Amino acid sequence: MNDSLLWQVRHFVYSHFADTTHPPSVEETAAHFNISTEEAGEYYKELHNRHTFLLEPETLTVRMANPFSGIPTDFKVHANGKTYFANCAWDMLGIPAALHSDAAIKAVCTESNESVQLEINNGQITNNQLLIHFPLPFARWYDDLTFT
Amino acid sequence: MLLFRSEEWIDKWCQLNNLARGEVLTIHQVWELSKLWYHNRLSLEYHGRSVEQVTEIFKQAGLTSKFWYI
Repeated sequence: MNDSLLWQVRHFVYSHFADTTHPPSVEETAAHFNISTEEAGEYYKELHNRHTFLLEPETLTVRMANPFSGIPTDFKVHANGKTYFANCAWDMLGIPAALHSDAAIKAVCTESNESVQLEINNGQITNNQLLIHFPLPFARWYDDLTFT
Repeated sequence: MLLFRSEEWIDKWCQLNNLARGEVLTIHQVWELSKLWYHNRLSLEYHGRSVEQVTEIFKQAGLTSKFWYI
């Protein structure tokens, strides 16, 4: 496995997320690098094993490339004229941090189910009343990333 | 990581799910952590982090309790 290409694949997946709001299929990645789908799949598996991104179980579909989510969630982030989904309350802030952009965020309180909105404007948060609960200590985050 | 409108809702969620309370940060604290954690995520040069780098980020964000030990 070519280590340089491995990190180029990681970069391509993240750039694709940033540009389109969703991950590239393994076929799109293979075409971009002019390699076989099987080879692209091996790079996807290696990046998954290194916790660089998370594949759906038994597939080559990218579920998470933190802070981006490959599936709809309760954390909707509008930035740079696009609408992204974040994996969790932390990642909804991670998207404007990764994009270095302003953002308008719509989310839901986990227990009350009330809608909440906040904005990032010039690096400042408009709603300072909200709280984020980290249920697990850092040492256990990767035990089950979907739960985390 | 879960979003809540108040401490009251966090306690209620923990009780209903029979889970111990973890660490609660203000949204401002998490925004500061996000900038440290994610600012270079789209870079080709980002290849993940060492234990020392993660420890330094938590320290810079003021997260020094045992909860954040690696």
